[in-house]
Amino acid sequence: MHGIGRIPDEVGHLILSEDGAVIASGGELENAEQMGGTVMGILTCITKAQLWPADSGDAFKKISITYSDHSYVICLSNKNIHIVKRKFIPHEPVKV
Amino acid sequence: MEKPLDKCLDEISHSAGVSGVLCADSQGLCLGVRGKASASSSGTIAALAERAAMLEPGSQDPLILLEGDNSQCLVHHNNSITLAVYKSPETS
Repeated sequence: MHGIGRIPDEVGHLILSEDGAVIASGGELENAEQMGGTVMGILTCITKAQLWPADSGDAFKKISITYSDHSYVICLSNKNIHIVKRKFIPHEPVKV
Repeated sequence: MEKPLDKCLDEISHSAGVSGVLCADSQGLCLGVRGKASASSSGTIAALAERAAMLEPGSQDPLILLEGDNSQCLVHHNNSITLAVYKSPETS
C-alpha cells in the first residue's frame, strides 16, 4: 500500500500522522506506539530551536539514528512521518 | 584545562567538508564551538542526543545524522559529552 516494504534491508516500518497517531506499522515495528511517542519527542525537540546556522536557510529533511547493527530512518512525506528500521551492515574500509 | 578540547575542536573544524563543530555537556552547556555552528543550539543538541538514546535504552548511544539539502549534522553522545559536527559540500 505504501511501497515501504520495498526498501532494501528493511526489517520494520511505522507511519505516524502529524499528531503522532499510528497510521500503519509492520515488521519489527508492528504496533510500536511507544517508539512513535519517542520519535515525536525527538522531532518536537528539533523543531523547537534552529539547529542550522541562521544564514544557511537550510532545514533538515531526513534523520538517521544509527546503532551498531541497525538504523532508523525518519522522514516526512505527504504530511505523515515515516520511520523505517533497517539492518545496518557496515562495509570494511577499502585498503589502498 | 580546556586546551586538549580546544585542540580537538580545531582539528575537527579544519577537516575536509566540515563547516562547524559544537561540543556540549550533558546539561546542554556549550563547552566549545567552531565555524558556522551556533552556541545557542547546544541545549537542543544535548536534548536531541538524550531523546534519541531513549529509543533503545539498553543499547550503546546511537549516531544521529540530520540531513538537509545542502548540509548534514552529525550528533553523538559519549561519556556525558555531546559532539555535533556540521558538514556542507561547499567547504570540502
